[in-house]
Order: sequence, then structure tokens, then C-alpha cells
Amino acid sequence: MKKYGYFIVLFVCFTIVTKAQTRTPAQQLILTNEDSLNAGISKAKTVLSGYGSAFYQRDFNQKTAAVRLERAILFIGHQFNSKITFFSEMELENAKVDGGSGAEIAMEQAFLKFNLSSTKYITAGLFIPRIGLLNENHLPVNFNGVERPLVEQFIIPATWRELGIGFYGRSKKLPLNYSIAVLNGLNASAFVHGNGIREGRFEGKNATANNIAITASIQYYYKDFTFQLSGYMGGTNGLNKRGSDSLGLSSGAFGMPLYLTEANIRYSKNGWNIRALAAYIAFPNAADINKAAANNISNSMYGMYAEVAYNLFQQKSKLANQQLNAFTRFEMFDLNAAIPNNAIYDGTVKQSHVIVGLSYLPIPNVVIKADVRLSNTGAENPSLVINPSPVRLPYQQNNTILNMGIGYSF
Amino acid sequence: MQRRDFIKNTCRVCLLGSAGIAAFNLNACSPKVGSALAKPDVKNNKITIPTALFNTNPVQIITPNKYPYEIAVQQINETTYQALLLKCTHYDNQLIPTGKGYNCQLHGSSFDANGQVTKGPAAESLLQLKTTISETDLLIQLI
Repeated sequence: MKKYGYFIVLFVCFTIVTKAQTRTPAQQLILTNEDSLNAGISKAKTVLSGYGSAFYQRDFNQKTAAVRLERAILFIGHQFNSKITFFSEMELENAKVDGGSGAEIAMEQAFLKFNLSSTKYITAGLFIPRIGLLNENHLPVNFNGVERPLVEQFIIPATWRELGIGFYGRSKKLPLNYSIAVLNGLNASAFVHGNGIREGRFEGKNATANNIAITASIQYYYKDFTFQLSGYMGGTNGLNKRGSDSLGLSSGAFGMPLYLTEANIRYSKNGWNIRALAAYIAFPNAADINKAAANNISNSMYGMYAEVAYNLFQQKSKLANQQLNAFTRFEMFDLNAAIPNNAIYDGTVKQSHVIVGLSYLPIPNVVIKADVRLSNTGAENPSLVINPSPVRLPYQQNNTILNMGIGYSF
Repeated sequence: MQRRDFIKNTCRVCLLGSAGIAAFNLNACSPKVGSALAKPDVKNNKITIPTALFNTNPVQIITPNKYPYEIAVQQINETTYQALLLKCTHYDNQLIPTGKGYNCQLHGSSFDANGQVTKGPAAESLLQLKTTISETDLLIQLI
């Protein structure tokens, strides 16, 4: 029996030694966070991490419920040296891609970062510009509520990424950050009524480069406040002059321009977190695109939200590493704030929502969320109801949604 | 809204924003976290800064010359200093001093003034660099 014991110990030791010696070159490059701290700053290394979220949602009007693995994202980053780094985020939405299921695999980011100094750098590739709060910081541990703020889905279509080059910097004399980026433009003919500008994004796939966009932001820190102002101006028609003329559209780098401006304020102190954001989109040539693509697009859209959250564990020293954030958020947006003569007004896309909920973070990297959303919309326009189902229920302007979810990031 | 009106309105908003920032800045003349006052050269993987620098403010952001990261140095007492490497422990990105702590713009990680994680995805505290004091200088050992 003793003999067998020695044999088992020897076998385990041999296995451990063999495993340690047979790591592939790729595995040897992959470091844990702890390793990376000790690896110095000039050595090449690869880092793996990610985030994800899943939720349960109950619609009280429709009396339906759904459960979704909303997204699972894998980050891969590689530091070539202290000056050049690669970052990527690959996203799988809805767990399984099998054609027509609403699931997708997409690169959320893939860019090179060139450090010019400790406060300035350039990004090049597919990246998320600094517009709004959620666009850059979209990890589920970084916002309250199971659903991302609706204003940052319908007005600022997070996660909005495009191909381009960006310059980011920080003032050494003031607590001021700034960014400016040149990106590919949007595709207005793909805009979908009721969805803002979301469907007009290229997200790195076959983007037209006849039209371009410029975006810029400034961020300022003062005591417990953070202020941000950002803007976007871009062409939304990538056709050449001949094709554009035939459709009656203006062409060129900023042909059919779309303007977006956004401002937000954050306050954080003693467990209180307050944030407010407002965004406005102007699209002066909406009538032209409605004529060419018949997609019922508006001249302007706006949205705003304000959120107050308090960490209920703030005063509990034994739970200092945990957070239980109680929050309430009010959101309102109107996707047809101004419409051209050839558009049809749709009251259902003028909405307001009140969300009340809790976010529990046992550690900063894991969150368990629950909230209730009370929503209200304008009246339905019968002109937009085409061939209704005979069993269709009347449109209800008020609804209640219950959400419960989990999220992680590492 | 026409393009001219939009640009006019946007400019007004920018001017108002700038005026607000300028007004805030008048009240923020004293050195805070976020103002870099020293740019020492790196010698033998060490930097040297005068301790007199901390007479004006106990927290200083140091920008070593030709070094990819800044260092937040806090004077705890006359003989003790805390030097935090402003490198995110998640993806090694440069951190932004916010006045209350440090933020990573890449994935949103936050650290408090002592380098402890307050928001993920980072899980590790900021690296504290070794410090030693000579007569009038503080020596910080870089990695």
C-alpha cells in the first residue's frame, strides 16, 4: 500500500513538473494581473479578460417573460513594448449565433494604442469614441440597472465604435482631459425609424470612407464633480457624387451632415453617486433621405436622464469592500422632436421612464441587479399601423417592466 | 434646425461650458491631484524629487522624464511617503488623477487615493513603489 502511495506522489509531482515545462509559447505570454505587475514595463505580454451579463425580464403588459445571456465579451490585449499596445473586445450577443436569431458575434474594439507620453496617446483602428457616459464605460459593474440607460441606447447608440484615429490627452496643469478623433461616417439610408441612428453605424464592417466624422470631448474634474462635453459631426452619405446626385443627396466628406452634442455631470461623495446627461442630435437633411430611402427619419432628436444612487453599505465598516447601491433614474427622450414635411410623427418614440432598483456588488467585479421600470410613451399614430393583426391588442402607453440580472468583469 | 443655427447654438453651449470651467478654475488655484509639478530624470531606474515639493501640497503627481506612467506621491508624515504607480492593474493603461482617486479610461476601473480598487474590472490595488529619504530628497525606485 505504501508503495502505491509513493507512486501516486511521484506521479502527481511528475505531472505538475511536466505541465509547467510544456506551456506553449502563447501560454507563456499570458500573464495574470499579479504576474503583469512584476513583469516590468518594457516586456511584451498578453492579457486576457472580459465581461458579461445575463438577465430575466418580465413585461407586465404583454404578460411575457424572457431570460437572456445578453452578452459575453472576451478582451485580448497585447503590450508589444512600453509605447505600443493592442486592445480588443470580441462580443457574443445572445449566446448562440444560428442565423436570424438576433444573436451576433462582433468586434467591439480592436485598436492599436501608441503612447506619446504618460499623458498623451494615439489610438488607431476600431475604437469607441468618448461620447456620453456609457459608451466608453459600458461594463455591467459600471452602471446601475439591468438595462443600459435608454438615452444611451436610442440617442447615443452605445456601444458606438467606428474605424479611425484618435488623439487623447490630459493637461498637466489642470485636471482636464481631452480627445479628438477622425472616424468613418454613418449611413443614413440604413437609419431605422424608432431606432435613432443606431442602424446607420458601420461598426468596422465595410464602412464607406467617402464620408467621415469628427468627434471631440473635454472632461474636467473639480472636487467631487466630473464634467464632460462632447460633440460629433459626420457625413451620413458614402455614395460617390454620381450616385448621390441621382438620389438627390449631398455628397462629400460631410455630405448629409449629422450633428450630435452631449453634456454630462457626475457627482460622487460619501456613498452618493449622482449623474445627469443630456444629448441632442440634429439632422438637417432628413427630408432628403426620407425621399431616397423612405425611412421616416426626423430632423432632430433629444434625450436626457438623471440618476441618484446611494451605497447602503457606506457606513458599515465590516462591509467596506462591498456595495449595495439603491438607485432611481428618470429618463426621457423624443426621437421625432422635429420632423420634415415628408415624415410621419410617431408618438410612441417620445418616451419617459422611471427606474428604481438595487445593485449589489459583493466585490467590485461582480454585480447582482434588480429593478422595476415604469414607462410611458406618447399615443400611437394610426397612420403608422399597417396591416395590423386581427388579434392585435390596443397600444398601451404605460407599461411596467421587471428586470433581474447578473454581470461580471475581470 | 439649419446647420448655421446648430453651429451657433453649439458654440453658445461651448462658451457657457468654458466660462463655467474657468470660474471653477479660479477657485482651484492651489495644487491638487491632477497638476504635474515635477519632471525628474530617471537614473539607475530611480527618480529623485525634493521633499520641499510637498510643502505646498501633500499629494504630488510626478511625471518622470521619458517614462510611460506618472507616479502619485503622497506625504503621509514627515518621514513616510506613499508612491503609487499610475498604471491600471487591469490592462496597464495610464490612469487619470481625478482629485479623489484615479480612473482608467479604457474599461472604467477606479482606484481611491490609496490605490485600492473602488470599481472593476481591475481587481488588484495599484502598485506601491519603494521610497527612501535622503536629507532633502525622496528617492523612488521604479520598476
